[in-house]
Amino acid sequence: MSAETLRLPAPSGALVDRSKRVAFTFEGRGYEGFAGDTIASALAANGVRVLSRSFKYHRPRGILTMAGQDANTLVQIGAEPNVLADRAPISDGLAVVPQNVSGSLERDRAAFMGRLGRFMPAGFYYRAFYRPRGIWQRFWEPIVRRSAGLGRVDTNAPHGYFDKAYGFYDVAVIGGGPAGLSAALSAAQSGAEVLLVEEFPILGGALTYARFDAAGEQAAAQCTELVAAVEAAPNITVMTNAVCNGWFADNWLPVIRGNRLHKVRAGEVVLAAGALEQPAIFRNNDLPGVMMGSAAQRLIRLYGVRPGRSALVLAGNNHGYLVALDLLDAGVEIAAVIDQRQAPPPDPAIDEVIARGVRVLSGHTVSQAVAGPGKRSTVGAVIDSIVGPGEVARQGERVACDTIAMCVGYTPTYQLALQAGGRLGYDDAAAMFSIDGLPEHLHLAGSVNGRHDLEAVLADGRRAGWRAAGGAGAEPSVPAETGESPNFPWPIYPHPKGKDFVDFDEDLQVRDILSSAAEGYSELELVKRFSTVGMGPSQGRHSALSTARLIAKASGRTVAQTGVTTARPPFTGEKLGVLAGRAFNPERYTAMHHRHLEAGAKMMPAGLWWRPAYYGAPAQREACIREEALAVRNGLALVDVSTLGGLEVRGPDAAEFLERMYTFAYKKQPIGRARYVLMTNEAGTIIDDGVACRLGPEHFYVTATTGGVDRIYLSMLWWNARWRLDVDVANVTAAYAGVNIAGPRSRDALAAVTEGVDLGAEAFPYMGVREGLCAGIPARFIRVGFVGELGYEVHVPASQGEALWDAMMDAGAAQGIRPFGVEAQRVLRLEKGHIIIGQDTDAMSHPHEVDMAWAIAKKKPFFVGGRSIELRLRQPTTRKLAGFAIEGPVGEMPGESNLVLRGNTIAGFVTSVVRSPNLEKVIGLAYVHPDDAEVGKPIEIKLDSGRKLGAEVVPLPFYDPDNQRQEM
Amino acid sequence: MATGAPQPTDHLRRSFVYRELLSAGAHFEGEGGAAIATHFGDPAGEEAAARRLGLADLSPLARVGFKGAGTAEWLAKQKVAVPPESNQAVTQDGGALAARLAPGEVLILGAIPGGALAGEDDLPARLAAAWAKAPIPPKTPRGFPVPRADTHAWFLLTGADSPAMFAKVCGVDLRPAKFAPGCIAQTSIARLNGTVIRDDKGRLPAYHLLADSASAAYLWGCLRDAMTEFGGAPIGLQAVRALVNST
Repeated sequence: MSAETLRLPAPSGALVDRSKRVAFTFEGRGYEGFAGDTIASALAANGVRVLSRSFKYHRPRGILTMAGQDANTLVQIGAEPNVLADRAPISDGLAVVPQNVSGSLERDRAAFMGRLGRFMPAGFYYRAFYRPRGIWQRFWEPIVRRSAGLGRVDTNAPHGYFDKAYGFYDVAVIGGGPAGLSAALSAAQSGAEVLLVEEFPILGGALTYARFDAAGEQAAAQCTELVAAVEAAPNITVMTNAVCNGWFADNWLPVIRGNRLHKVRAGEVVLAAGALEQPAIFRNNDLPGVMMGSAAQRLIRLYGVRPGRSALVLAGNNHGYLVALDLLDAGVEIAAVIDQRQAPPPDPAIDEVIARGVRVLSGHTVSQAVAGPGKRSTVGAVIDSIVGPGEVARQGERVACDTIAMCVGYTPTYQLALQAGGRLGYDDAAAMFSIDGLPEHLHLAGSVNGRHDLEAVLADGRRAGWRAAGGAGAEPSVPAETGESPNFPWPIYPHPKGKDFVDFDEDLQVRDILSSAAEGYSELELVKRFSTVGMGPSQGRHSALSTARLIAKASGRTVAQTGVTTARPPFTGEKLGVLAGRAFNPERYTAMHHRHLEAGAKMMPAGLWWRPAYYGAPAQREACIREEALAVRNGLALVDVSTLGGLEVRGPDAAEFLERMYTFAYKKQPIGRARYVLMTNEAGTIIDDGVACRLGPEHFYVTATTGGVDRIYLSMLWWNARWRLDVDVANVTAAYAGVNIAGPRSRDALAAVTEGVDLGAEAFPYMGVREGLCAGIPARFIRVGFVGELGYEVHVPASQGEALWDAMMDAGAAQGIRPFGVEAQRVLRLEKGHIIIGQDTDAMSHPHEVDMAWAIAKKKPFFVGGRSIELRLRQPTTRKLAGFAIEGPVGEMPGESNLVLRGNTIAGFVTSVVRSPNLEKVIGLAYVHPDDAEVGKPIEIKLDSGRKLGAEVVPLPFYDPDNQRQEM
Repeated sequence: MATGAPQPTDHLRRSFVYRELLSAGAHFEGEGGAAIATHFGDPAGEEAAARRLGLADLSPLARVGFKGAGTAEWLAKQKVAVPPESNQAVTQDGGALAARLAPGEVLILGAIPGGALAGEDDLPARLAAAWAKAPIPPKTPRGFPVPRADTHAWFLLTGADSPAMFAKVCGVDLRPAKFAPGCIAQTSIARLNGTVIRDDKGRLPAYHLLADSASAAYLWGCLRDAMTEFGGAPIGLQAVRALVNST
């Protein structure tokens, strides 16, 4: 077929722009289409009918629904597999590749699989592959792995930009067909703010492609009027090319449009999702050229493509005649209309078809589509007369045609309704699924609600919109259906030679379903799992109804009794990128962040914060840390401590509050002094530490660990909600930038930029707190010694932190100041034997285990965890934190978490260990058996390699045991 | 940029996003001991952008918080109109905004300098001074100042498209019909705790956004990214003033 003869003139082709030609390739061959074409429509216009190969038998497959509702059109585009060719638009240079092909689409080497069908009955893999023993791993698994999945995953696929947006509406209408349009209008007229979601690029649904009357005039006029009204309504937001992919509690709707997920919350939802046309079942019903009647109509009206040259219409309803008229109008020769009904009710469309000289045969069906070479096309149909449900008298009349349009019935697009808790029933009289039991605030409208007459559909939409918006006045009425059901009760005509497909995705034939029933599976959920029916990409859209009918008949029950399988989101395939959206990963920077980067810092995360680990090249990491640590001990260095938590505790009960929250005593703490704080939880486990600086009789500035402060703040609020002390706690962590200027020369350097504070040893002793100006910035000075040298923490407003850093670096330049990072700080604190909460403590550590009983005030009546600590002390102590040292060279360094052994039992583990640059030996902290915690005892550490290394318990601190340096 | 032009680093106090402003081409002016972005090279264009979607960094401007059981009473004594309910904000005579975040917590945002309402009263400074001068007598409920100028960055989002931009980063419906002037949402913005206060400027929707100062650069990036599709742009104080002074 040549392309020229397949394109139809305007007004056919509502979606294509004939003025813009688009060139693309399919399997390497160049084709041309129009802007607005999908891949499938453009290929159809070029006479290409085979789009893919089927999953199991590698049978050629072509257009089935032209609505993105089947797996026949799945193709690969670049790194993206499983693109729906009947939905994806073409663009210049687009390179489209078929999937599931061994060799070429035309000549697939795996097509022989179709001949092996009888060896692969439903559920065959439950019995095969396992014998003889070991054959699975050696033989079958590689084969199964190769055949599993569709498309090609590109692990180097470029990242796309995906994001999300919230949406809030009074009423969300899902489906922009006649029912959805009228529902949206009706709701909007009642004053509701409405979202209208339409899967296709234009509004109108069936009005854009189907024919509703013999003259073919009704749809277009109705569509124009409705769409114009919707577009003119200021309170209707229209999203075309958007799919509502699920229903979640309280009408939370994920609406996907392009690369954006709209997280829509709607007060009311009107589901006007329409109906899905269903295939008839006969031999070779999967050949390219066999398609839904609605697919043929979509090709004609939406894309201006003639579906074939000569078509046969298989009708089970009057819609088939309307399709025949559309085909005739498109210049397609109609070989015959084969009507499965014995006596079709009178309809002007039937009269018109007959009047146009088309052969009409009632009480007959297509029992076989005749395949062209390689089963790549349809060349005819075998027509037999129906003698009973599913039974034909095989006369075998053969009619030549290249297209078979199937018009035998529909299922409501029930997925979202069932996800919302609706129940699927079966109306035996109409031979159609029905939905009831919907939750409040969810309404159905149109064909999903069993309405098929256009007038009834529109009225149903009006009523649903009116209900959803709480409309005023009388409820709109809905006229009764005038005609018979569009569903032919039994369009299933199995063939002795099979290939009568129930499920195209999984290549399941009638006998596969029947054999499942014969195995005793009569519940659809079990049939699905045994046979895999409905498990393919189209999720049973075209197999659920036929399967339910077959199983009901085979098990002697009604379709309603067999049920359907559970409907779960998503409705269509969705990309992981859409679910991920734009990643929001907050990061916190201190005021000096850029100064660290400028100084060559290697940054490390600490919760959400970034902190300088050390300054210099990663290759020189150890040397950098060592030099930084030596600078603190011997000269002058500066560390950013801004990430330390900061809490203002203020009010008449501030000291009382701290006494309850922390283990120590604070009531008698003098103003201008800092005191260590240690917090335990209700189980007596250490959870945080810091210092409390008393700035006034009713005012403490309390520091907390970087990682702990948010939790500690919440805990404080929680406790005081019970205690109701007259105290206010404010988390001011971000408000203060801080530095610790440390080293023997720190006093001199700091004095150069300090106003209003006497830094002298007596005027400002160790653990003193002062307020003054530092480099002109209002500052809090705290003389603490985490690193064990003379040093001062200076806390200033965060907005002035960078200026403080610069001033400090300038002031110390003459003394050779250098910045030091977290790693050096950890080395230095370990030399001083200071623990880090969370590193040297775990979920069981209580103060006595880590030799911090000194931090527990004995005389106060209560603190959080106090009672638990008492109880825990009544139990035998099983471990203690001890300092250990290893003199001399060590081949393999011990690591954190290395076990401490005692004979053959585990006594504890190493929590911190470094080679001390100042002491020139390995030092560390470890949990050891209490009997081994005495100074001088040997312990044994099991290294990463499994080797054992001896160490000796030594007194803490390792460095400057009399604390002379920090208190100088 | 001309040599000698005001720079953020001329001051000890610096905006949390001054580097981002510099890389967006900001020109600065001194205000309240810090440099604030005046414009980004195209003042007229920014005024138009501000009507569609503008993002201004107001972090250098004055603000202060008060927290504690007696906050509302004490502020009322200082002649501050305190909103009767939480999550409401009221504009003061001098152009400052009092935002009640909780029964015992109020945030005071200083007036836009040069704005129509800006009077002599530098409310945040006056309140801070008053608090320091007159400690509360014992046995009375009290409120304590909180350094909101340092705990929080202060951004202003302006223009008709700002609600649509917010919908990409925030789960609260901030559209004008649903989020009236003076409404406050304490919520998550791009996964960051933030406070959003609607305070229209020149009949256009405008929202103050206050969030963790340490995460300001992160948030600025998220907002700029979310603004892209609307053609949103950073705007300077000049465009904000124009908006405030338009009727």
